[in-house]
Amino acid sequence: MLVLTLVASTLFVGQQSLGQENSSELFKTDVLPILKAKCAKCHNADAQKGELNLTGANAILDGGESGAVISTDDPEASLLWEYIESGEMPPEKSPQLTQAEKDRIHQWIKSGAKTGAEANRQQELTQLDILPILQLRCTVCHGTRVKEGDLDLRSVESILAGGKSGPAFIAGNAKESLLLKRVHAGEMPPKQQLVRVSVKPVADSEIKLIEDWIASGAKTVEIKEDVANGKPDPLISDEDREFWSFVPPVKANIPTAKQSAKARNAVDYFVMAKLDELGLELSPEASRRTLIRRLYFDLLGLPPAPAEIAEFESDTRPDAYERLVEKLLASPEYGARWGGYWLDLAGYADSEGLQESDRFRPAAYRYRDYVISSFNRDKSYARFVMEQLAGDELADYTDPENVSQQVYENVIATGFMRMTIDGTFAGITGFVPDRLVVVGDLLQVYTSSMLGLTMKCAKCHTHKFDPIPQRDYYRLAAIFKGALDENDWLIPIREGSEPGQRDRFMTLAPTEERRAWQAEHDRIDSEISKLESDLESLRHATTNRLEKERLERLPETIRGDVATALATVDEKRSEIQKYLAEKFADTITVDPAKLAEVDEDFKKAEESTTNQIKSLNNSRPEELLVRALWDRGAPSPTYILKRGDYLTPGRPVGPGVPSILVPDNRPLKVQPGFEGSPGTGRRLALAKWMVEEDHPLTARVMVNRIWRYHFGQGIVRTLDDFGIAGARPTHQELLDWLAVEFMQHGWSIKHMHRLMLLSATYRQQSLIRDEHLDKDPENLYLARMSIRRLDAESLRDSLLSVSGLLKKEPFGKPDTVTRREDGLVTSNGQNGGWRRSIFVMKRRTEIPTILANFDRPRMSPNCIDRVTSTVAPQALQLLNNAQVKSWAESFAARVISEGGNTDAQRISYAYVLATSYQPVESELEITQQAIDKLRVAWKTDSPDMNDEELTAKVYTNLCHALFNSASFVYVD
Amino acid sequence: MTKQTHNSGTDQLMTRRNWFDRTATGLKAAALASLLKEDVYGESRRVFDFKPRDTHFEPKAKSVIHLFMNGGPSQMDLFEPKSELERLHGKSYFEKIAGEVENPTAAGSLLRAPYGFSQHGESGAHVSELMPHLATVVDEIAFIKGMFTTNLTHEPALFKIHSGQERPGLPSLGAWVTYGLGSENQNLPAYIVLDDPAGLPVNQTQSWQSGFLPPVYQGTRFRSTGAPVLNLQREYDEPDNITELERQLISRLDKVHRSKRNGQLELDARIASYELAARMQLATSDALDLSQESQETLDMYGIGDGASDSYGRRCLYARRLVERGVRFVQLFINFQIWDNHTGIAAGLKNCCDRTDQPVAALIRDLKQRGLLDDTLVVWGGEFGRLPIAQLPADKNEKNAGRDHNKNAMVSFMAGGGIKGGISYGATDELGFAAVEDRVGVPDWHATILHLLGMHHEELFFERNGLKERLTSVNPARVVHEILA
Repeated sequence: MLVLTLVASTLFVGQQSLGQENSSELFKTDVLPILKAKCAKCHNADAQKGELNLTGANAILDGGESGAVISTDDPEASLLWEYIESGEMPPEKSPQLTQAEKDRIHQWIKSGAKTGAEANRQQELTQLDILPILQLRCTVCHGTRVKEGDLDLRSVESILAGGKSGPAFIAGNAKESLLLKRVHAGEMPPKQQLVRVSVKPVADSEIKLIEDWIASGAKTVEIKEDVANGKPDPLISDEDREFWSFVPPVKANIPTAKQSAKARNAVDYFVMAKLDELGLELSPEASRRTLIRRLYFDLLGLPPAPAEIAEFESDTRPDAYERLVEKLLASPEYGARWGGYWLDLAGYADSEGLQESDRFRPAAYRYRDYVISSFNRDKSYARFVMEQLAGDELADYTDPENVSQQVYENVIATGFMRMTIDGTFAGITGFVPDRLVVVGDLLQVYTSSMLGLTMKCAKCHTHKFDPIPQRDYYRLAAIFKGALDENDWLIPIREGSEPGQRDRFMTLAPTEERRAWQAEHDRIDSEISKLESDLESLRHATTNRLEKERLERLPETIRGDVATALATVDEKRSEIQKYLAEKFADTITVDPAKLAEVDEDFKKAEESTTNQIKSLNNSRPEELLVRALWDRGAPSPTYILKRGDYLTPGRPVGPGVPSILVPDNRPLKVQPGFEGSPGTGRRLALAKWMVEEDHPLTARVMVNRIWRYHFGQGIVRTLDDFGIAGARPTHQELLDWLAVEFMQHGWSIKHMHRLMLLSATYRQQSLIRDEHLDKDPENLYLARMSIRRLDAESLRDSLLSVSGLLKKEPFGKPDTVTRREDGLVTSNGQNGGWRRSIFVMKRRTEIPTILANFDRPRMSPNCIDRVTSTVAPQALQLLNNAQVKSWAESFAARVISEGGNTDAQRISYAYVLATSYQPVESELEITQQAIDKLRVAWKTDSPDMNDEELTAKVYTNLCHALFNSASFVYVD
Repeated sequence: MTKQTHNSGTDQLMTRRNWFDRTATGLKAAALASLLKEDVYGESRRVFDFKPRDTHFEPKAKSVIHLFMNGGPSQMDLFEPKSELERLHGKSYFEKIAGEVENPTAAGSLLRAPYGFSQHGESGAHVSELMPHLATVVDEIAFIKGMFTTNLTHEPALFKIHSGQERPGLPSLGAWVTYGLGSENQNLPAYIVLDDPAGLPVNQTQSWQSGFLPPVYQGTRFRSTGAPVLNLQREYDEPDNITELERQLISRLDKVHRSKRNGQLELDARIASYELAARMQLATSDALDLSQESQETLDMYGIGDGASDSYGRRCLYARRLVERGVRFVQLFINFQIWDNHTGIAAGLKNCCDRTDQPVAALIRDLKQRGLLDDTLVVWGGEFGRLPIAQLPADKNEKNAGRDHNKNAMVSFMAGGGIKGGISYGATDELGFAAVEDRVGVPDWHATILHLLGMHHEELFFERNGLKERLTSVNPARVVHEILA
């Protein structure tokens, strides 16, 4: 075996060395023509599928999105040959290579795979090979914002223009070029500064490239950023465009169904038509108690109060249900529930993550409040999307004297794009690749939440399943680059004298609020200055008084002389006066600065003033900081990064959206958002495109999400992936009908709620019958409703609500959390109450244990859909945790005081509070037995306990048991 | 052996028909074969449990004990003597490695190892004189000296070694392993973290997170004092018989609730979780009861001995846990004791005094109980250290330490399928960078999974249209050279 290998490789080497010239000859005469004939349809200069052009020697040596396609070290391992040999290329439907052609190519590979262009590669270098290097290594000090030595290294022109020391290079003369001299001398980039500015030294291979480029005459080419051009996109086929989700939705006719009498609205017809196919029927309508409990949790995330249940049960009006839906939609608690879903998608967090310190994000909560308010006001979803993607470009926010509430909200909304994990506040974790992770996370947040396509794969290579070339990922990155430029970075923490220069904060408030804020500052300033001047007057008066008193203690004969001497300035004093001044200065003169040391009253007054000033300063309203993302203009060029590696930039691309979603491949219309805007307008163009009526995804994706939260799963179950690898819709016509209806009704989310909640489908029972298990065990087709466990927030909020401890005080700074020594994290209450979970601090490293146990995830970067686990720590939390037990005590106290006087009444009341249902007879019986036994047990344990204490103990056990019961944690 | 597919939550939601629709398009082709054997269809949606699962191929190890050495142990001071470093001690080297130095202003000249080395065992392994106990078990150990990582800051480097990528929010190694294999013991958590009572490590609990995997797979902290698991014991006073009455009430109410809801399997799962909670209370106390151990054993681990007591206890807990079928046990030390920026001589001594005897005892104890054959013991930190000195503020060279270094680090493995008594790979003559038989973190992960019978490319979870893996899209190689 060994011998054979040796022989083979000797032969191979022999052939290779023999074939150097033959190889390139073979390439010209045989191989290139084959490649042109069979591969160039996709891999030509225009199409460049996989970023690969196979129509010329140099282009082939340039490689594609996966890097080099020819390996000179091991030609047989060349990507080009691997693809051909394995039959992967040309693709199935294209004309195939004949065996003879394959043999010819293989012969060429074996001969060393030379193209003849290898020797003169440096002649092919252009500024496109050099500028990305300078951008990476130099422009932080010689670029957009800073021009050390007046030098700007961003373009050939500015490099030639040079700085204080002259042009940075001389074409054709690498040795004399200043830029290289400084690099070679080890002066640039300065080694001691590398970490501070997050720059790595220039690699030897990069220096070589710069040398070669200069030596070969510093060739330049016209830079053309690749953007959509209105012509058919060679990378997307017509067949690709026919996939269901890439075609805009249209309203199908509402189908007919066998059980049409049961239908309440259009939704039902679509659902029943599918059920007909399966031979299933809608289940009967659920009881009013089930419905009210379901609606409360669905819309508010809270249980209904007993009085609300009673009111609904006794409401005999035919539209009682509709009225209830309207009431809940109008509740301010609705936004706290539905805003929560959106915050998961945005990846909302109150901290930066990554580093140990997990730095707190001041002002992030303003975005949280914006989201909640937007849902409460039923803001058009189109507007909601636009504000979050391009709030800074919708209207002028730059004039502090002209900031309306709307403009303010626009900017707050851009907080959506600032939610990702971000460790770039420190030099050592803020290098370009670190920043690119932040950019990548933002793209993932945007695509998974609003767009409904997965694009992450296209960061490194053309998407394997969806028609998304790598080019499209970088076009999208270019859209965000005006604001999120890895070469011109704003850090996540406040730094420098003015917000917004080095960091991503902006001082902004609606003009009215700003004026009020200013007025408050002014008021405090004037109070302080009054206090200060009062103190100064007192100081003056006291000093004078003291000096006078001291003088008066002198013998009357010299009193006048001493006073005169001290009052005279030194130079003008006579000899006697000098003598007197010297002798009496210490005893008579009082130093006003040290007055407190000699006068007790003044000391008190001074302390009091200091304290008052301190407390006034403490009462100052905080800086009007907003955490935002805004376009700063002058973005650096965007290159396709081969294999997603920032060290291997490919060709430059301009801003654009995924081509598959733009049938006519028209270019993105980019223009600044308003006159005098500092920005590029790129994200504004994106935002406008997102909400165009023929956008195939935006409405579908949102409608599908609303559906998922009402029915337990989406019509498309992969909420973030409507592409080829995603799930197919179970009811496409319904989804499309709803999507169009959504757009036609002003993108009103509440309109969607009404359609879904008023349907007979939603009002069904959740009981499983045998035919369900036979025909649709996963309930994809909704012949019943699915039961659901409360999510983390609803569970905690319910515990508090039932216990009477929930404070419904929305908005503002998040409530703090405490980490106990053993690691248990709890939220801190205020005055014996707690706010809803959405208002509790969302520190990435400090998720309250009760929420974490019930599947509240850590955001990274966002959460598309919660999982529901069923594990022992949940039981342990509810059984053993002291806080839960103390809440049960409050619950019990409430039951005892509000529930009536008999056990039966109290048991019923506790049940209704916790589960919304009246206990059935068996439950009542079991509970009464338990209560009797508990009474005896407690009495035996503590014979001295009085009746009141005993009742409290027993009912605490009952209430605690209810917290732990399935009927509390599940919704039918 | 049956090939086991680890498919995602999304997949679980699909009907059989959809599965075939998708497989027919060529996706999931690899998963198809095993799918036919596994009845995805019949299982409830919540298949994220700890039932023991089949491996991809015959495993060598059943359990893992990861002795995580927070801070970055110094590769040239412990197992790899460098004569060139000795010779060039005091010479300047900063300019050559400036881009790799986190604190340039504190950079000093080349620094020799503060302690001597000698060779041990039949294998003649080099071990620092600071580790006399480990020196006695070197013939069980495979040293990986060509290891390196990709980030020189603690947090990202920790994320990398624990979860494969330099960022938070991804599943840790232990989460992947228990997701893939389940556990042999249903009364104890499958993935147990024994952190230091003296304090949490850097990145805190994020080092054992489950990331996008279902939260059941995150590591469960067992504290060495007090209740070992959060909420494990009642946090309030109540007579036991009363608590028992309340539990009976819960159980009876749940049965009534369940009886009215035919076919709702998740309600059964919930009842089961309450039963498990009760069993866990007992099983956990038993597992951590060291009074069941002989004095001889306690002495071997250095328990009761100032410096080594705390880590000794955790090493002994680790043995007791793998003995009971726990899949993955991970040990941490408070903060990051191996982060010897200054005073490396004293610092290393402290680290070794605390850990040397317990680690050696663990290996010996596992061996003598026949547990080492299927228990993989892994030792290592998040990165290595620089050959040049890092000077303290007063520039006093006597208190010199070493700064972080991502280009080289040291790790070792023993037991479960590992070839003992070998040394694999090497750094350059100064110990700055791994140059020979390099092992990246993805290789290291792939090797651990391999020993457990899993292929790193076939252990995946679908998310955002990607098959997410521990090794991500990085090329990863099983280091066969260190396998028995």
